[in-house]
Amino acid sequence: MSDNDPQTETDGSGPGIVAPDDEVPTWRERKERTTGLSRLTYEYFERARREDQDLRQESSYVERDVLGFPSWPHETVRNLAIGSVFIGMLLFLSATMPPHLGDPANPAETPEIILPDWYLYWSFGLLQLGPINPELTILGGEKIMSDELYGVLANAVVFGAIAVIPFLNKGGARRPVEQPFWSSVGVAGVTFAFTTSALAVDNLLPIDPNITFDLTFLLPLVAGAVSYAVLKTMREGYMYNLNQRYYRLRPPR
Amino acid sequence: MSLERKDEYDHRAWLKERDLSAIEKTYLMTLIWLDRRFRLVDYLEILENMYYKINLQMPKSHTEQYNLDNKFWYWYPLYALGSFSVLAYLVAAVSGALLGFYYAPSAASSAGNPEAYTQIVAIMQDQNFGFMLRSIHRWSAQVMTAAVFLHMLRVYFTGAYKEPREVNWIIGVILLALTVGFGYTGYLLPWNQLAFWAGQIGVEMALAVPLVGEWTAQLIFGGFSLGQPTLQRMYILHVFVLPFVVTALIALHIGIVWMQGIAEPH
Repeated sequence: MSDNDPQTETDGSGPGIVAPDDEVPTWRERKERTTGLSRLTYEYFERARREDQDLRQESSYVERDVLGFPSWPHETVRNLAIGSVFIGMLLFLSATMPPHLGDPANPAETPEIILPDWYLYWSFGLLQLGPINPELTILGGEKIMSDELYGVLANAVVFGAIAVIPFLNKGGARRPVEQPFWSSVGVAGVTFAFTTSALAVDNLLPIDPNITFDLTFLLPLVAGAVSYAVLKTMREGYMYNLNQRYYRLRPPR
Repeated sequence: MSLERKDEYDHRAWLKERDLSAIEKTYLMTLIWLDRRFRLVDYLEILENMYYKINLQMPKSHTEQYNLDNKFWYWYPLYALGSFSVLAYLVAAVSGALLGFYYAPSAASSAGNPEAYTQIVAIMQDQNFGFMLRSIHRWSAQVMTAAVFLHMLRVYFTGAYKEPREVNWIIGVILLALTVGFGYTGYLLPWNQLAFWAGQIGVEMALAVPLVGEWTAQLIFGGFSLGQPTLQRMYILHVFVLPFVVTALIALHIGIVWMQGIAEPH
């Protein structure tokens, strides 16, 4: 393979965009050709801009070099396009699946099913972690805190753990294959969210509650371990591809 | 060294050396006067920049830059989840404002049922388009919450929270909590059985916390048992407090994304 093969170009200099030739007037030239008031406006703004630039160069202001790509126009245009489909989907859902309004509030009658909305199932499940609330022998087998407080603290711990992630996982790795450990932590976390949700509704599941409780903690570990193994294996292939591309570009002598 | 400012860009002198007609002079004086005060150059530059970017040639997109053309387009919806949640938030705001015209947070009994519940029934059965309106509000809330959760997962699994975007991640976690709070307060407003007992769980959670628990229960739920004060407070949180806080935080969140750009690589 030669160096000019488009397959091997990774710097973005692929075909498709043709550079304008010398005959095409630049925007600056077009503006310089204008006459009258628009010409005056152009001249004044050029002066004002130069003034700004000089001021900027004199100051200690440094333009930061942040790795990123522009929100405008790519992300915005694309999002608006996909977003209109999304709004349509929203209206379709509303029209076809209207919400249910149950019985009016009645403090005298406890319903069989007490549940928050689906996105709080995990939080509701965390309130039922009583069985793993440690009992200390020093205190004569008493629990250091009530089961309810234990559940509330579990919620706080979850939010805190999510918030500190950027300060624990540093470095340049971005893709899951590049960071198998942290990705499998994520997979375990997502699985835990689902299993705690299942724990919240364990009286509706056709499984023994004790088994549900054990699975709540086992399944996330299993899912994390499996995804770790899979990603580790995938990384072998990923590194192999990188190496292959490297040797294609710079064949060994 | 004199304190007098040495103005290399003496626009007045420049005007004088040019031989201008009265119209031109008036126009330019007005332009300079306005520019000195409102920094028109900056805005014109922004407009110009945008104009050239759409009309002349789009800068290379990420996929073009990294030759990912046919591999990554199907991931795009995942990268649009953040703006999905904003869109759903806007839809919820509009439909919620319309619903608010026909709703008052009153737990007082009218014909055996709580006033708030009766009003929701009226919205759904008597108002033109009311059933659809409530449906839209509820679905946009559901979808917004789902989009926020999935957005967080996307950001996590693509490592987009890393330096220099840690602050935005934390703002996002706060926004996630506030979105869930939005959903919870809204869930309580119809004052049906589900709402009442979900509120009961909330009070019990608050009361479980030592020291500040009782104070929190009184502040947020208006007491240790549910009733009119609870509904009133949930309503004010839902339509007054949270909208301001969440809108401001979303603006900040998007502003930071705008400043820092979308994290690469995709």
